[in-house]
Amino acid sequence: MILIHCPYCEQDRPEIEFTYGGQAHIARPHDPAALTDREWETYLYIRANPRGLHAERWRHIHGCARFFNAVRDTVTDRFTVTYKTGEARPDGGVA
Amino acid sequence: MLEIAPLAKSGADLAVGTKPHIGAIIGRPVTLSPAAPHSRWSLRARDPALLGSALGRALPDRIGTVLDGIARLGPDEWYALLEAGTALPVLTGLPVSVVDVSARALGFTVSGEGARLALERGCPLDLARLAPGSATRTVFETVEIQVWPTAPDAFHIEVWRSFAPWLWHALAEAIV
Amino acid sequence: MTGYRLPAGGRIDRHRTINFRFDGRDYQGFAGDTLASAMAGAGIVLVGRSFKYHRPRGLLGIGSEECNALVSINRGAARVTPNVRSTQVWLYPGLNAISQNRWPSLRWDVVALNDVFAPLFPAGFYNKTFMWPRSAWEKLYEPVIRRLAGLGESPVERDPDHYDATYAHCEVLVVGGGRAGIDAALAAAQSGGRVILIDEGDELGGGALADPAQWPVLMALKQELYSCSNVMVLTRTTAFGFYHQNFIGATQQLTDYLEPAVSQGAREKLWRIRAGEVVLAQGAIERPLVFNGNDVPGVMLASAARSLALRFGVAVGRQVVVMAAHDSGWHDALAMAAAGVTIAAIIDVRHVVSGDLAEAARAMGIAVHTGAAITRVAGRHAVKGVTFASDGTGPSRRIACDTVLMAGGWTPSVHLWSHAKGSLVWSDAWGAYLPGTALENTRAVGACAGEWDFGAGVVTAVLPNALPVRSQTAFVDFQNDVKARDIHLAVQEGFRSIEHIKRYTTNGMATDQGKTSNLNGLQIASEALGRPVSDIGLTTFRPPYTPQTFGALLGHHKGALFQPVRKSVIDDWANLQGAVFENVGNWRRARYFPQGGEDMHSAVLRECTAVRERVGVFDASTLGKIEVVGPDAAEFLNRMYTNPWKGLAPGRCRYGLLLREDGFIIDDGVSARLADDRFHLTTTTGGAARVLNMMEDYLQTEWPDLDVWLTSTTEQWAVIALQGPRARDVIAPLVEGIDLSPAAFPHMAVREGTIAGVPTRLFRVSFTGELGFEINVPADQGRKVWDAVLRSGGAHGISPYGTEAMHVLRAEKGFIIVGQDTDGTMTPYDMGLDWAVGKKKPDFVGKRSLARPDMSAPGRKQFIGLLTERPQDLLEEGAQVVLDPTAPVPVPMIGHVTSAYHSVALGRTIALAVIADGRARIGEMVFIPMPDTVIRATVTAPVFHDPEGSRLNA
Repeated sequence: MILIHCPYCEQDRPEIEFTYGGQAHIARPHDPAALTDREWETYLYIRANPRGLHAERWRHIHGCARFFNAVRDTVTDRFTVTYKTGEARPDGGVA
Repeated sequence: MLEIAPLAKSGADLAVGTKPHIGAIIGRPVTLSPAAPHSRWSLRARDPALLGSALGRALPDRIGTVLDGIARLGPDEWYALLEAGTALPVLTGLPVSVVDVSARALGFTVSGEGARLALERGCPLDLARLAPGSATRTVFETVEIQVWPTAPDAFHIEVWRSFAPWLWHALAEAIV
Repeated sequence: MTGYRLPAGGRIDRHRTINFRFDGRDYQGFAGDTLASAMAGAGIVLVGRSFKYHRPRGLLGIGSEECNALVSINRGAARVTPNVRSTQVWLYPGLNAISQNRWPSLRWDVVALNDVFAPLFPAGFYNKTFMWPRSAWEKLYEPVIRRLAGLGESPVERDPDHYDATYAHCEVLVVGGGRAGIDAALAAAQSGGRVILIDEGDELGGGALADPAQWPVLMALKQELYSCSNVMVLTRTTAFGFYHQNFIGATQQLTDYLEPAVSQGAREKLWRIRAGEVVLAQGAIERPLVFNGNDVPGVMLASAARSLALRFGVAVGRQVVVMAAHDSGWHDALAMAAAGVTIAAIIDVRHVVSGDLAEAARAMGIAVHTGAAITRVAGRHAVKGVTFASDGTGPSRRIACDTVLMAGGWTPSVHLWSHAKGSLVWSDAWGAYLPGTALENTRAVGACAGEWDFGAGVVTAVLPNALPVRSQTAFVDFQNDVKARDIHLAVQEGFRSIEHIKRYTTNGMATDQGKTSNLNGLQIASEALGRPVSDIGLTTFRPPYTPQTFGALLGHHKGALFQPVRKSVIDDWANLQGAVFENVGNWRRARYFPQGGEDMHSAVLRECTAVRERVGVFDASTLGKIEVVGPDAAEFLNRMYTNPWKGLAPGRCRYGLLLREDGFIIDDGVSARLADDRFHLTTTTGGAARVLNMMEDYLQTEWPDLDVWLTSTTEQWAVIALQGPRARDVIAPLVEGIDLSPAAFPHMAVREGTIAGVPTRLFRVSFTGELGFEINVPADQGRKVWDAVLRSGGAHGISPYGTEAMHVLRAEKGFIIVGQDTDGTMTPYDMGLDWAVGKKKPDFVGKRSLARPDMSAPGRKQFIGLLTERPQDLLEEGAQVVLDPTAPVPVPMIGHVTSAYHSVALGRTIALAVIADGRARIGEMVFIPMPDTVIRATVTAPVFHDPEGSRLNA
């Protein structure tokens, strides 16, 4: 069981207190009606599946209950950084 | 036609104890007791100062700490565990949320030299580092709980009502 | 009968004899024995049979590496544990062990014919042979393979034991209680942090237990260790897996070493340990040598024989020959000889061996043959002698003996290191991989780190022999019967990667996970491929280190504690009434309340009648509830739900429909506006957690600017649904502070007041089509109010009803159950719920998806009713609907039945279904093919009862 650093609690907490929330930094369009079907499809379904660093959302559901973002290496399952919702990805990476 | 699994049936026979369960875990005494009824409130606000002044109460600053019966569970969330019957003003028209959840949870106290061992059977936190004056949501195996250390060897546990029978027995099982 | 107890020596207590049983015969050992040492001491050589060829096998090792001497331990019919390594079974009075993989007996095994035909069963035989014809799989191959497969037998009764589990935290965890581990634990204890030391054995000491010279210092160190208050020592505990961030899984045996009669408490305990630093001190395992005949019972590891002699006081045989490639074999032979074991000869494949060793051996009367190798072992069920030759090819010589000891060098135990993704570095000196760079805060010490003066040796593949490898029975993996020639064959057939060679040959895939075979397999593959070992790689070690019981992994999730069964505060009452329950999510809910000998059908008809004609009461407490509070509450709900919420007046309720962003229905429920900035939402029972999580997601991450907060109040409120024409009459005497008159309190309204003296949020809502109320009261008062309602309802013929009647009543009205009538692909329009969609709203979750052409294209399934031609035919939920049952297979299917019940209101069966273009088919005949018949039904609107809704507005 991994430990995940909750950026709100500022503690490393056990994985079973958290739930996974999919890829991070996919903002819901402000005006969905303005999107083409293809653009809407991209928003809804198209996700990165990198081998390596992946920015994703987690929720400390059995702790402070906050959603936050994390960069995790999908090869080693190691978190390189976690940060609060709304903050830019600290390592400057994409996807 | 789905039938209820026999295991689920036996699980349904569990009930929260009405009297303290006294025993020991690995030779260290532990008492598991139902806690007295409490007044419980979920308090939410973006601005702690506004919430505090509207309630007329001081709120703890740091997430995971307790002040006068109120724990800060998250950046915009506090949980008040007060003497039964204590009413908080149900504020309206303010950017705050005050919700009475007195009946939502039951409290247990786990105390004695073996209290921490009893909880560590299912709680993954390092409870030796959770000092009195702190409080946090966490889990006992699959069940969400709140742990409030009240003394070096005593804990108050909050658990949602319907999970309480399972938790009581999961704790009591090892206290022999 | 070759092994025997030496007259003196060892750590056993010769004053305490212990009777035990093996394959139905009684034997004696001593306190301090393992089953393996006691069997060896009792002269038992043949202890088991191998997996594939059922070859007779004897003891090979002394610890977790043991791959031959696996037994079943019988502690009663429900407590049979198969595949236990006899080297790790501590003897107790009455211990009952049974050999495995043989029929009818260990000595005469029918399946051993496999061995006679072994040339027909080379590596990959199963892959190649059982390919076709397909029919032979079902009739021949599978039944036969199943009969022959498996190791040991599972218990056939339910496990009566219970198991404990715990988390633990420490600053330093030491795995392995040999000298290196004890030293590491003592050093760590100085720092004052919490230290945990775990060891597989029943006492600390590891290899030092087989070296009496170390016993005094060992005792002193152990005393020091046990005096440290910050050190916890766990013996009989196996660290089976090393997971991320120094998280170690370990199981502790609590009762298996005790007589069943005196065993108390949990059988095993699962330790989930988080450590600041992990020190691995797992030691090393001696490597067998691969030579012709190396699996005859009586051929074993030299270190195991040494341990038997010096720790357990057992001589493995009366005439012992040592086959060495390493100095440690000489040291072991000398130590055993000094303890009184007759060592007939030491054969060493090396031409040059340290003069001191040879000198010492000769001085003890041991014949020394250097530069030689055993080429054949005589005997089948026990060793009778060996043939050896200079360089394996010279003139043969024979020695009569009953035991052959193999000293092939050492393999550091890097299993946990490898679990933790630490790098491994090839060491030519060891002929093995050693820990390299750690990924975690972890270090290896002692033999498993290569920090041990293990002497000199050579690394060999197959010992030299005049016979070609393909003609030798030279085993690499004893448990899975992999011979050197199988690895050669794999290479010959084109396999290059060690991972492929492993899977083709099954080398290292048995329950011992290649503890003694991996490195030999690598050496042989390396030689066959003509490439250095370090080029071939190493197969990955994965948890568990040794097999673990399911019980230990389950921990306390067993029996009544298997999982929480959530119950409402009315459940006790329902239970007393003899309710039949069903599971809904992890709640249990009363399904119906049979009276007398009623079956479900009769009970449900009666309960439905009560609701339609008088009044029924239903426990709806499990409904999900969320309190939505804040100035932006209505704005938030407006964005979440399809419906408009801003115009809803305080005191009024609205049916809310929730979509996912893909436009499909995910949940629904009636919600009330209590004040401008406070709503009381309800969700489906099963959807409560999911809906709250979804709403929190939008609130926290998409619209963090909204001033609104969500609080789960599912368990705050008990909900008592009172439904039927007399519902108002029942609560009228109990309610204070609320005007119940239809004008003052219309359908879809909410009021606050008291009922039976308890504060209530009283909803006037209906999921039955009748006049109805849902009484929300604080859960701790729920039972009190329920009782009051029942008392008051007595005069009105009140009847409790369960979830089954609730389903029938709502189906008669065509009210959907999300997840039953919908399946995650249904839109509001599909379900005839477009009236609940706020067309004028600029946006809500799922709105954009509804605008996709496919979401309103012809041919989509639509929610309709079905009336069977014969009124008593009850359709099956899930049954497929077709237009032409005579069409050639595959018959085109246009939809399926989602709900079907006997309706008391209609006096016949009804069904709900989703079928393509359903609403345009109303009045048409459709067909529901069943295994024995085809049912004809007419498509109808999905509302069967009171379509005008006059009853619920009463």
